[in-house]
Amino acid sequence: MKKSLLVFIVAGLLILGVVIWITTSSTILKEVDFLHLGIITALIAFAIFFGIKRFKSEKRKEPVEDEMSKKIVQKTAAISYYFSLYLWVFIIFIKDRISIKMDTEEWIGTGILGMSIFFAITWVFFYFKGIKNDE
Amino acid sequence: MTNRIKEFRARHNITQEELAQKVNVRRETIVFLEKNKYNPSLKLAHDLAVVFKISIEDLFLFDDEIK
Repeated sequence: MKKSLLVFIVAGLLILGVVIWITTSSTILKEVDFLHLGIITALIAFAIFFGIKRFKSEKRKEPVEDEMSKKIVQKTAAISYYFSLYLWVFIIFIKDRISIKMDTEEWIGTGILGMSIFFAITWVFFYFKGIKNDE
Repeated sequence: MTNRIKEFRARHNITQEELAQKVNVRRETIVFLEKNKYNPSLKLAHDLAVVFKISIEDLFLFDDEIK
């Protein structure tokens, strides 16, 4: 129960953070902010899906994590880290070449959100494709 | 590598959920194993063989054996 509850707590904190960000923001939200909001919403949806999956496993009295799920997370972490390096290189390349002006914090936020999206996409890919040791 | 988990599970008349509980993994892992989308660890292969009371070689077939 504790492990699936943790996922919901993290998702709840993320929602709380977004609410505080929007309510305390003195300026009108820019295009980039809407992009960030969209990504954060997708991540919250992913976290809730993950939490429900874990909760169902606990209800069925199955282990929340087993060797396959751990292997999927390990491979996901490795592959998404590899792609994240390219993402940061791309961000460094593009930051002075586009018309949208963003400060350093916004670029870092975009990079971190991009990394999270890579992780989520890679996890979904391996979750449906499966993992074979001999590949 | 392929396996005969589905065949032996049918022979023993046990569900994927029951098998998952016996070897202490998630039901999804059994689904992936039966679809040949996951190669188990030696420990899990051993546990599965013990449940079906057969040897690991009878449960898992390697490519060179199939040919």
